[in-house]
Amino acid sequence: MSASALPRAFLAMLRRDVVLAWRRRGDALLPVLYAVIVTTLFPFALGPEHALLARISGGVVLVTVLLAMLLSLDAVFRGDLEDGALEHMLLAPQPLALLMAARMLAYWLVTALPLVLVAPLLAYMLGLDAVAQPVLLLALLLASALLDLLGIVLTALTVGTRRSGMLLSLMLLPLAVPVVIFAAGAVGAAQQGLPWIAPLAWLAAALALALVLAPLACATALRIALDS
Amino acid sequence: MSLHAAPADPFIVARGLGYGRRDERVFGPLDFSLDAGCIALVEGDNGSGKTTLLRVLSGLLHPTTGEARVLGAAPGSEQARAGCAALGHLLGLKGDLTVQENLALGTGLYGAREDADAQAMLEHAGLAGYAHEPVRTLSAGQKKRAALARLALLPAPLWLLDEPYANLDRNGIALVNALLAGHAARGGAALVTSHGAVAFYEGVGYTLRLGT
Repeated sequence: MSASALPRAFLAMLRRDVVLAWRRRGDALLPVLYAVIVTTLFPFALGPEHALLARISGGVVLVTVLLAMLLSLDAVFRGDLEDGALEHMLLAPQPLALLMAARMLAYWLVTALPLVLVAPLLAYMLGLDAVAQPVLLLALLLASALLDLLGIVLTALTVGTRRSGMLLSLMLLPLAVPVVIFAAGAVGAAQQGLPWIAPLAWLAAALALALVLAPLACATALRIALDS
Repeated sequence: MSLHAAPADPFIVARGLGYGRRDERVFGPLDFSLDAGCIALVEGDNGSGKTTLLRVLSGLLHPTTGEARVLGAAPGSEQARAGCAALGHLLGLKGDLTVQENLALGTGLYGAREDADAQAMLEHAGLAGYAHEPVRTLSAGQKKRAALARLALLPAPLWLLDEPYANLDRNGIALVNALLAGHAARGGAALVTSHGAVAFYEGVGYTLRLGT
């Protein structure tokens, strides 16, 4: 196997997922619409008191974006399982972890990035202070990437099971708790004018670890889930 | 791409190879070997374990008895996967991608044979005008032809083909036989399953009968 085979396979996989998402770009818009609608519900439910909405805005946007990311997670491998493309990935000469890393990056680009881009607007709508906006954006970039990696590992574990969507939520949400605590902690600290770098550094450290381990775990999980 | 096994080694060696599901035998025990340049036919009725045999050899299933060596390594190991291309009932083509994009994806993952030309291969497979059509708009037989064209572009010396004749018309069957002949002439080998209702490739090395 030549040295160029690995980047070539990685790019082929990435390109495939991005092109497939582009052909169905209406589907990619649904999580964004979901996030917009859920965020809009909060002022209706809690009343239009500005101080209250501004205080909860960071947390509301964080949780809404993370839930919107969950919506399409269980479909990551479904199509590939049904048309046999998943078997071709398993049988390809390249390490499966490399192909999974490409899929994780593609899912983040296609699903998480639009949500992260629309999040400042949602936070602005709820009245988040301008000083806390960059912190929220940074926290969302880190948190969405971390949950993308964790979520796809769990999706690989549940591949082939019926009703995997509910199971997946039950498995992923406990893992999302520390991510939400650190991300919301950073935004809250920025709102009060306190130093906010420490919680983000924790998130970044967890992301660095997950970037290395998640593709390997995902490849192993897929082989376990499909071995029958 | 270089072949790791020495040329004299057989591509596949199976000793007492068998697979069972919950104490029920699916196939085997089988003893056979497949040499370079040899096309072997696996024949058997529906449910005789042809697909399972190919899945065991590609490493998707673990044999319950005996052992197999594929290209000198365990099935499914990196060395075995590097020289092995499989085509199953599920073709692994993405319906929203065009024929050409699907071929490019295949060569991206598996590498391309040096003398392979995607356009010429599509013409050979009778899909000349369909390169830019999404695969979901093709008929079942055309999808099969697209999958065969993708297979023939790959450098893998060992083919594991599960019912390659299914859904194909007479020209399609001739296409499979021509691809097999070309593959054998390049020194490749193939294990091909069939339920035995079509005009099989004439240069067949031997026939493995399952489930008798």
